[in-house]
Formats: sequence, C-alpha cells, structure tokens
Amino acid sequence: MAYPYTSEHEVRVLSEHFGDPTARTLEGARAKGRYETLRKAFEMDRDDVIEVVKASGLRGRGGAGFPTGVKWSFMPKDDGKPHYLLCNADESEPGTFKDRELIRWDPHQLIEGCLIAAYAIRAQHVYIYCRGEFFEASAILGRAVEEAYEAGLIGRDILGSGVEIDLTVHIGAGAYICGEETGLMNSLEGRRGQPRVKPPFPAAVGAFGKPTTINNVETLAAVPHIVEHGAEWYRQWGTEKSPGTKLFCVSGHVKRPGNYELPLGFPLQTLIDEVCGGIRDGNALKAVIPGGSSVPIMNAEEVAACSLDYEGVVACGSMLGCASVIVMDETTDIVKQVRRVAYFYAHESCGQCTPCREGTTWVTKILQRIEDGRGTEEDLDTLVEVTDQMTGTTICVLSDSVAAPVQSSITKFRDEYLALIRRGERVGAA
Amino acid sequence: MSDAPTKNPGWAGNTGEFDLTEAQVRGDDFVGTRPLEGAHPAGAPSYAFMRAERDPEAPLFEGPYQTRFEKLLTRYPEKRAALLPVLALAQEVRGHLSPESMARVAELLELPDAYVRGVATFYTMYNKREVGRFLVQVCTNISCNLCGADDVLAAFLRATDTEPGETSADGDFTVVEAECLAACGFPTCVQINSRYYENVSPEDVPAILERIRERGE
Ligand SMILES: Cc1cc2nc3c(=O)[nH]c(=O)nc-3n(C[C@H](O)[C@H](O)[C@H](O)COP(=O)(O)O)c2cc1C
Ligand code: SF4
Ligand code: FES
Repeated sequence: MAYPYTSEHEVRVLSEHFGDPTARTLEGARAKGRYETLRKAFEMDRDDVIEVVKASGLRGRGGAGFPTGVKWSFMPKDDGKPHYLLCNADESEPGTFKDRELIRWDPHQLIEGCLIAAYAIRAQHVYIYCRGEFFEASAILGRAVEEAYEAGLIGRDILGSGVEIDLTVHIGAGAYICGEETGLMNSLEGRRGQPRVKPPFPAAVGAFGKPTTINNVETLAAVPHIVEHGAEWYRQWGTEKSPGTKLFCVSGHVKRPGNYELPLGFPLQTLIDEVCGGIRDGNALKAVIPGGSSVPIMNAEEVAACSLDYEGVVACGSMLGCASVIVMDETTDIVKQVRRVAYFYAHESCGQCTPCREGTTWVTKILQRIEDGRGTEEDLDTLVEVTDQMTGTTICVLSDSVAAPVQSSITKFRDEYLALIRRGERVGAA
Repeated sequence: MSDAPTKNPGWAGNTGEFDLTEAQVRGDDFVGTRPLEGAHPAGAPSYAFMRAERDPEAPLFEGPYQTRFEKLLTRYPEKRAALLPVLALAQEVRGHLSPESMARVAELLELPDAYVRGVATFYTMYNKREVGRFLVQVCTNISCNLCGADDVLAAFLRATDTEPGETSADGDFTVVEAECLAACGFPTCVQINSRYYENVSPEDVPAILERIRERGE
C-alpha cells in the first residue's frame, strides 16, 4: 500500500505518481513521459486540440462541471489581443484536497497541461493562482517551472516549435472567494478578490481586460492524457455525460480517508465501504456531503442509491461539485457541523451583495442560537426564508452555497434540530 | 481510532516518511543566497515565506529584497498586479504589515495609500498587527471538526497558555482558528508558519511545539 492509501478500484491516470517524489524533478518527470505530448500538441492545429478535448467530454473539475472544450472554443480567434490562461489552484472549498496533491506530487503534469491549453486558446501567458497557504506546493511548482524554463519547455520558441508561452506562479493571500473565477481575476490584478458581474464573460473581458480562460488544476492535468491517447480512450471510463476519471477526496468518519481516482459513475456506497474501508469504529452512516461544503447533505438512503457522476448525484438530491466526499457517522452533531459551515461562509463573504453579507451572518447567528439550546421552531422557518432570499439574488453563488446545506439539513435531519429546540438535547457528540 | 490514518508523506508530514526542511522543498540551492537573488524571474523561490526571525523595524526592499521586488514586477503587465506578492515580501521581513509598511508599498507601486490598505485588509494572511514568532493556525472546518479539531485547538491553547489570537508571554506563539487548509483527508491540519502539520491529535501537540522551539522553523 502506498500514498496514504490506494485501492484496487482505482484507475490512476492523474494520480499515478502520488507518493513518489521522483516525479517532482524535470529529469524524473521526463523519464515518466511528461512533455512528450507537448511536442505532439504543437504539431497539431490549435483548433484540433480543442476538438479532441471537446470530443473527450472532459468537464471542469473546479465545481461547476462545464465542458472544457466548449469553454475553450469561446475564446476569440485572430483578434490580435493578448490572451490569458488562468489555472485555478485556490482550492479552498471545505472537504477538497486534490489540487494541492496534484501540484506537489506531479507539477510537470500540470505545467504540460497548462502549456497545451494555452496553445489551444492562443494564450501567451499562463498564471497559476495558488492559494497563499500552499507554501510547499507553490515552492515545488515554482521550482518545476524554473527547471522547465531552463530546459526550453516554457518561454520563447518552446521545443523549437516557434510557440511562445510564459508561465507564472501567482500566490494568493488567504480568501476563499478568490477561487471564484472573476474574484480570482481581480485578485491577480492586485485588487480585492471580489467577483465581477457577468457578462462580460472572461472569454471576452477577463484578466487585465483581455480574453481569458480559467480552468481548475485537475481539469488541466487531465489534458495531456487526453491529447496523447485520444477522446475514445478517455471515454472508456465514466458515463456518456460524465466521461473519464475523477479524484475523489474522501474525508470525515471513514477508516481510510484520502484521494482516490475512480471512474465517474462509481457507486458512493462502494466508495465508502470498500475503497475507504467503511465507517470508523463500526459505526453506522448518518450523512454524506458529496461535493464539498456548498452542496446539499444526503442521508443514508440517498447515499445507498447514488452513483458518482454529475447526473447521478443530482438524481439523489445533491451535486457532485468538486467530488469532495465528507462522510459523517451516527455520532455526528449535524446542527453543529452546519453551523460551522455557515460560519465559514459568513467569514468568507466578500461583502458586495447585501443578501450574502447580511444573510450569512444571520444564518450563522440563528444556527448558533439553536445549537446553544435557545432556538425556537419558528427559527427553522426563518432559516428557510432567509436562505431562500439568498438564492439566485447575488453576484456569485457563494450566497447560494449557504442555502444548500442549511435547507437540506432542515429537511432531512429536522429531528435533530427539533431535539435541540425542544429539549436542548444534542444528538451527536462529534 | 482502530484504523488510524497514516501520516501524509511529504514536507508537511512531520511525522511521516520523509521529514524535509524548507531548504529541501525549495531546493537546497534555492535557499540561502539563491532565492534572495531571485533566481529565474518565473520561479517561485523569490516569493515570500513566513519566517520566525524577523524585525518589525527592518528596512524594506533593500539588498536582495530589492532584487526580488524587481523580479516580481517583471511578471505582470501592470505594476499593480504585483501588490499581493510585494505585500507578502514586506511581511516576510517585518512579520506584519504596519501602516507604515503599507505606505511604503503604495509609494513603490504608485498606488494610493488607502487603496493598498483596502486590499491588504481584505486578505487574511496579512497580519495587521504583530504575531508570535510562530503563528499556529488550526483548521476547525467541517472535515477536521468531525475528527476532533476543536480538541486540537484547545490543546494548543492550553500548551501555550494563550487565548485565540493572543501571543504567548515569551513571544513565541500565537494560536488562531483557521478555515479549511485543503488537507481535509489528513485531519486535523495545522499550519505553523509556512509548514503544514497533518493528522495532528491533541496528544501530538507538546512534541510539535518542542520540535519547533528546537529547530526554529
Ligand atoms: C465561491 C466560489 C469558490 C470557488 N472556488 C474554487 C476553487 O477554489 N477552485 C476551483 O478550481 N474552482 C473554484 N470555483 C469555481 C470557479 O469559479 C470556476 O468555475 C472554475 O475554476 C472553472 O474551472 P473548470 O471549468 O476547470 O472547473 C469557485 C466558485 C465559487 C462560486
Ligand atoms: S454572493 Fe457574497 S461572496 Fe459572492 S459577490 Fe456577493 S457578497 Fe461577494
Ligand atoms: S477541513 Fe480542515 S483542512 Fe479542510
């Protein structure tokens, strides 16, 4: 058994070298085939690269699941302006811990993906925006970038192809909202990381006012494999609408938490029971958040029926998001955990929109009151009402992200709220 | 817990398979003289780390820091875009961003003073006042919380005899609650200066603090 844990169910395409520090050096990475595809991509027509990615059905791994090839095709052609590619390595959604691992174990895979994507969308400059806390990951990445520059893999006339692409690692300074694509652009430009109103969309007016594409780390890391082996190869895994493999970040009350790369469509129950060794201490499962803290909570019944592809999770009452599976056993205090998540959003709201700025704070206060045994049943109605008003009314979806866990937990775990309200009894300890 | 999670190997996993120093992570040749000289303009080595040794009165952007500052400027089409990394550089030297440090950055980047303050206060990683030599940030967000992060936070507070955000009497430690650090599968995650400590349980706390005092990083 390697890298904290692995499983025979895994298909390790992106995570093949997790746990193996030799892939970090350029020499090691080249021995593992990195940058072979770059040469191949540069010999292809730029639009053909976009077509392969489109045909593969690769969907954005940053949360929204938007088809990557389609996004790339929005970029203008021959407009004579500089274009930018931004790689979103701000990874801050609670429950998500895949991008950091992709960067620190296999930085050259990401760099190669960035260069191929930049070539396809006609970008001359790539910025990889790492969250500020990633000192280690960004140091490893920065070192890899430097090595690649020295070897002529980044910069002018890459591999003698005449293609010129620069790549810069940019470091954030601690703000979840900078993961939102337009917030990230503002932050990159040296502003407060507050999201922008769309339209205009980034492909028209993005970073520094120029056409820009933004993709998640995992999305870009998949690109070299797709260009190397083709769309059909990638489609051997997953479902028609959600093809390929995906990193699942499992945390919480399982015996073996960690990153597991599995084909999309994998059964959630099997992920918990077999891949992760089941629930700790032989406890029973209570709830799962399948896609990071901003998606609805599922109960055990929904979990049993759920297959982990974008459509499958929606059918079971939640969303796949960035596939951050947070597992909670019977000892969990749902109200406390929902309050903790709401507190997070209140802390991270950028403050531009009133429903979000005021709503996140109110919701947190009401939840705290209930948790302290001072709540009333009307508080539950108020929570639903307030979160309703926070949905679809703001510049970005951070505000909606509070509604999902709050409303779903009130519907699915109402008993726990009522127990606290009526008798001041906590259901769980954790 | 019966099937205890292994330590995540890497720089972070202090108790894991490898126990790398900052120098090893950044490349031995990158630490010491080289990162200060800046190395390749694109490389991260000229970015700031959080150091235990610093001086709130130290001169800003002199000597090697001048070079690093200039390298940062070359990476963006506009001067303003260098603001975040430049603020981080100032904090590496002085430990926090005083109004005077922010004013100096504003002057260098030709930005209004109030603008720089507005940006600096938006981001949590800029310390607006002095903190201990070691800033201990304990993630208490959901995944860590489910696995006992509140107890880990309490253990750090007890061991350092402080309240959250307060600096210990010897000036060594400031312990604060942090939001998700993107290491949720290795709970509890604690960031101490630039380094992640993963799978931390309350029992590990004394050993971690002792190690830090000894190694100074
Ligand atoms: C509040 C908020 C936070 C987000 N945080 C992240 C993040 O940390 N990392 C990320 O890749 N995408 C994040 N996103 C999604 C991005 O806005 C964007 O959709 C994504 O980076 C696009 O890349 P993709 O198409 O490859 O998924 C966030 C979105 C919102 C609304
Ligand atoms: S919804 Fe919240 S985080 Fe998003 S832009 Fe509005 S105030 Fe900022
Ligand atoms: S919840 Fe603690 S690191 Fe993510």
